[in-house]
Amino acid sequence: MQNRPSGFGNPWLQLGLSVVCVFASELLLKRGASEVAAPDDAFSWTGINGLASPLVWWAIVLIIASFISWLYVLRYIPLSLAYPLSRVVDILVPLGCWIFLGEVISTLRWCGIALVVFGLALVAQPIAKMEERL
Amino acid sequence: MTFLAFLFILISLVTFVAAQLILKKAMDFSATHGMRNSYFVSRVAIGVVLMTVSFFLTLGLLQRFDLSYLYPFQGLSVIFITILAAVVLKEKISARLTIGALLITAGIVLVSMS
Repeated sequence: MQNRPSGFGNPWLQLGLSVVCVFASELLLKRGASEVAAPDDAFSWTGINGLASPLVWWAIVLIIASFISWLYVLRYIPLSLAYPLSRVVDILVPLGCWIFLGEVISTLRWCGIALVVFGLALVAQPIAKMEERL
Repeated sequence: MTFLAFLFILISLVTFVAAQLILKKAMDFSATHGMRNSYFVSRVAIGVVLMTVSFFLTLGLLQRFDLSYLYPFQGLSVIFITILAAVVLKEKISARLTIGALLITAGIVLVSMS
């Protein structure tokens, strides 16, 4: 982690940006998919009709941006540290669903989400180490 | 949830994890052999195709289910990686990994019942 750039090139800032981009892209994809939803049409399982929504295209831009900043982050921060930190998005997404998308989340679902988040927090580091070797 | 939806959730996760690992292999290879060779180009192409499949399947699923319902299933990707590491790397599964995987599984069961 030597010669770490400062300002916009700061890897910690980029890690934050990457997380925000992933978070925003998930919400935009959901909004976009809902806009064009055609659940009775079997073809819509392919998701290709989703391209008709501009929100989906914005989500694609954000996914690419998150990917680029993530690759940049990995040049400076080891995966076994960056990956567990990036999992904060697992908390942000359900909160975003609740606050921004107005999804009704039952107590049962909140409990399930909490268990998944705890489980992910527990395994994030060993998983990152495995991924480095795979 | 229908069988079809569960199948598509599984496929979208498996393709995503496989794409990530294949792209990583390609990048590792390019560090020593450069990018102008058929091995690198074909691996990147396979990775991109798998990512695209995963993306569109997710887009199809999002037309039918809440994001707060679908999102927790991404926790399953961790279980795929654990199984893969056990098979490919003959890695021993630690108690921490086992407990984490059980928590994730239990959480997904609760979410899928909700």
